[in-house]
Amino acid sequence: MSRFTKVVVIGLDGLEPKIVDSMLQAGELPNLARLRDRGGYSRVATTTPAQTPVAWSTFATGVNPGGHGIYDFIRRDPKTYLPDLGLNRYEQKNAFLPPKAVNLRRGTPLWELLGAAGVPSAIIRCPCSYPPDAVKGGRMLSGMGVPDLRGGLGTSTFYTFDPAVQPQESESVVRLERRGDRVHAHLIGPRIPKTGADAKSDFTVEIRPAEGRALLRAEGSSDPLELRVGEWSKWLKVKFKLGLLQSVQGGVRFFVPRFEPDLELYASPINFAADAPMFPISNPWDYAGELTQRIGPFYTTGMVEDHGGLNNGRFDEAAYLSQCEQVMREREQMMRLELDRLEAGLCYVLFDTPDRVQHMFWRFGEPDHPANREHGTGSYGQVVRDHYRRCDLVVGEALARADDRTLVIVLSDHGFSSFQRGFHINSWLQQNGLLTLKPGTDPGEDAGEFFHNVDWSRTQAYALGIGSMYLNVKGREAQGTVDPADAPQLADRIVRGLTGVVDPERGKVAINGVATKADTYSGAFAAESPDLVVLFNAGYRASWTTALGGIPAGLFEDNVKKWSGDHIIDPTLVPGVLFMSTPFQGGAARLLDLAPTILSALGVPKGPAMEGESLLP
Amino acid sequence: MKILVIGLDCATPEILLGDERLVNLRRLMAGGAYGRLESIIPPITVPAWMCMATSQDPGSLGVYGFRNRTDHSYAGLGIVSARSIQELAIWDQIAREGKRSVIIGVPPSFPPRKVNGICVGCFLTPDTTTDAYTYPAAVKDEIAALVGEYEVDVKGFRTDRKAWLRDELFRMSRKLFTVVRHYLTSTEWDYFHFVDIGTDRVQHGFWKYHDPQHVLHEPGSPYAEVIRDYYRHLDEEIGRLLELLSDDTVVLVVSDHGAQRLDGGFCVNEWLVREGLLVLDQYPAQVTPFDQLSVNWGKTRVWSEGGYYARVFLNVRGREPEGVIAPEDYEAVRDDLKARLEATVGPDGRPLGTLVFKPQEVYQQVRNVAPDLIVHFGGLYWRSIGGVGYPGLHIQENDTGPDDCNHAQFGSFILAASNSPLQGEQTGARLLDIAPTLLELGGYDVPGSMQGRSLVSGRALEAPSGFTAAGEAIIRERLAGLGYIS
Repeated sequence: MSRFTKVVVIGLDGLEPKIVDSMLQAGELPNLARLRDRGGYSRVATTTPAQTPVAWSTFATGVNPGGHGIYDFIRRDPKTYLPDLGLNRYEQKNAFLPPKAVNLRRGTPLWELLGAAGVPSAIIRCPCSYPPDAVKGGRMLSGMGVPDLRGGLGTSTFYTFDPAVQPQESESVVRLERRGDRVHAHLIGPRIPKTGADAKSDFTVEIRPAEGRALLRAEGSSDPLELRVGEWSKWLKVKFKLGLLQSVQGGVRFFVPRFEPDLELYASPINFAADAPMFPISNPWDYAGELTQRIGPFYTTGMVEDHGGLNNGRFDEAAYLSQCEQVMREREQMMRLELDRLEAGLCYVLFDTPDRVQHMFWRFGEPDHPANREHGTGSYGQVVRDHYRRCDLVVGEALARADDRTLVIVLSDHGFSSFQRGFHINSWLQQNGLLTLKPGTDPGEDAGEFFHNVDWSRTQAYALGIGSMYLNVKGREAQGTVDPADAPQLADRIVRGLTGVVDPERGKVAINGVATKADTYSGAFAAESPDLVVLFNAGYRASWTTALGGIPAGLFEDNVKKWSGDHIIDPTLVPGVLFMSTPFQGGAARLLDLAPTILSALGVPKGPAMEGESLLP
Repeated sequence: MKILVIGLDCATPEILLGDERLVNLRRLMAGGAYGRLESIIPPITVPAWMCMATSQDPGSLGVYGFRNRTDHSYAGLGIVSARSIQELAIWDQIAREGKRSVIIGVPPSFPPRKVNGICVGCFLTPDTTTDAYTYPAAVKDEIAALVGEYEVDVKGFRTDRKAWLRDELFRMSRKLFTVVRHYLTSTEWDYFHFVDIGTDRVQHGFWKYHDPQHVLHEPGSPYAEVIRDYYRHLDEEIGRLLELLSDDTVVLVVSDHGAQRLDGGFCVNEWLVREGLLVLDQYPAQVTPFDQLSVNWGKTRVWSEGGYYARVFLNVRGREPEGVIAPEDYEAVRDDLKARLEATVGPDGRPLGTLVFKPQEVYQQVRNVAPDLIVHFGGLYWRSIGGVGYPGLHIQENDTGPDDCNHAQFGSFILAASNSPLQGEQTGARLLDIAPTLLELGGYDVPGSMQGRSLVSGRALEAPSGFTAAGEAIIRERLAGLGYIS
């Protein structure tokens, strides 16, 4: 018989060990302290790169990225050099079938091994679980990777009368129209497959100043939705007709920045309706619907927190935090529900929000952050620490539901750091003669994104994603120039060239090193990996435009966005944290060791491909 | 293009095209064309499927129903077999170009047809365990290895044992789809056509539970959803089939006729007796089937066979052994009879709305021994009862066992193909149009002898739409909301 009947894993995305250490010391995280005292606490080595989807996939499968195939949020098609989402893709077997989502995370997740051994599991929102794994005797709600109704990770809509307002990042703008005492507008649904046009669903808003509220009436919905200034609305269920025979449902929430002098309205990305998703988001397929029945409608997209609305200045930090709190509560309700009915096996619940809070609030802890010049500093200096305390309450909830045969694990997938300066990797390649622009084009605006003006016949390497770099290899890339035999030499040249690059403005080393494919990845899907991964120093990251194949002028830029913290740097600088309710060998713990640890706790042998070892004594 | 015909016997447009839970069918409809499909007269399984496959009307095939007069004697009706149909079917047409077909359960196909490919017998197969019901013969063993005993019908489907019937129907259909999937993937084929007969049987067996307008409707019955469940089962199975196809396939989901409630039976020979047209030596003391009656042929002018519709025969001098109607009076007698049949009334004394057809008027040719009149009592809301000895002309119970539904004139079709110019709902499609349509979409010549018209003729065939590289806007949208990029 195994030592434990249950394992409960609480994922706290992006919890940074340095902050945890200091708060533990100050006695501000009592539940984590209890856990540390009962069992132990250590750092846990993350993956290369230190990205959420990569790290949690290694957690799930117990293999390095070469064994599960997730390397970056963004991958590229070597035949077109175009970027695409690195987490999943859609395929259509023939014209008669709907497109199907295909998870790019491969390998064998530990819950599949549990299921095969007859051990049940409930997995809530593990990244790269879309479409959900079909696990026997398991429940799974998909997480990061689930799109909104538009098919992206989240496109919001801003409504205004002002004709000068232009759409910002990941956003549509719809002009409001006044007709009589009502304001008219529409929600933007998916593209209609046949015509490519946007499906729309009309709504009206009636402002009742005396009552301090407005009523939003949507097509096909009987009850009006109440709107109040400075508040998030309840969920509006919306249906879009895609044709005579097809329709799709979604859920949306509104935020009202103001009624006066003219109404402005923010609509969240339109989420799949959990009880009628466009593509499956749970296993069994009706599990998401069951959750809706029990806890009400909830956010279903992969990245739930409306960071776009904050980044674009459509609402302020307070509104963002209130939305984050809503997400935390939803997730807590799911956790309670599953812990209360878990009799044996594994329950995993990921709280993504600490990652999203730190991204947007990191600058308030750094007076010299360039973003503060643009956005000023408010009274948000304590937000990150407050949120850690909030996470500690979640841990308390989990501990309260754990008996002495329950192993409780709390971990983060990576730590957190500052993002003050962006580095243009493609521009560096261009300056070093490894990437050539078409004649008459210079780096900067006219080079554009998507490698628009790259002369591939004279290009040896290119970067896209958040630190990933590829060589332009003959036979693999469409217009490859690098003989595979020469690739290691070229890679070595780039490693030597980039390692130790100094930011002249700050006088600091920006790049600590570069990981090579050969040294970093092994396994069935290693061939798909980037050839090189740039390991940035704290404070630095691949620049915004690098991610989509941009080649700006210069090498460095200030990061002036509210998205001011990040973690996609040298992984040794951003380990995660690991707490367990039983003593463990924490000295050199790696995310790789978690799957073997959980399996061992439940008496199931680890998978043959798993590279780590159980941390249990 | 390859052609897959998914035949659902009796699949009725109200459900097939109307139930939005049939998601796979909905998708085919959204991507292709669909609509009601006008069947033949009479809308009966045999000969409808072969009319579809040959684009010939029943008169031209010389097959007017499941049972036909074989000569002008009074010996009753003979049952059709695969050999009754001599016209070239679509699979025979394409075999001339060396193309291969798989034909499973397309009535009538017992004895099994010798096709360029595989033929599996239909519901006319007496016993799949003992009869050679496949071509080639070895296919029988392959099927046995796949599904064990393979049923071509639920024997005795007109029964009160409803739970048993339901289970048998689903079981039979699942076996059929297992066999279909097997041959869809394990053989080379250019034309694949199968027919699920269970769709017909489930409606005959459960319509009164399904339809609140049925005179015997039982509200809240545990069988209320059996018919719709069966359609959902079909939708799931069809979804699985679609997974196995390549883009260069024409997919047709089609039925031979529709289904509608049965209000009762009209006792046609009873009526003829009362009208003095049918003379018996002795009126029976109890209900007696027609073939057991002692008919005074020397005084009888008209008789009929029962069934879902009535086949009415005139006793013509020089044609029938004891004919009494002078040949020169034939048309006048027939016209008079047609008018009297059209005037038949229901139990409430109001006209039934009976439709009466002269074969010579509805068929391009009239071969073999046709009925003199074909009668759809009450537009087929009433079936025709052949026995005599009933107290009235209208009965609720059926002479061949419990049966709640009759065939409707309109079946349904869904046509999806990457090269088809037809989109959305279509009106005016007829069963005989199917074969020329399929041949044209498949890239074959349409023989001039076919009586239907191609639904796509005269319309530009579009090249199969290939993969188009995703535009940057699409990529941006797919990455939208990923905070890590700008």
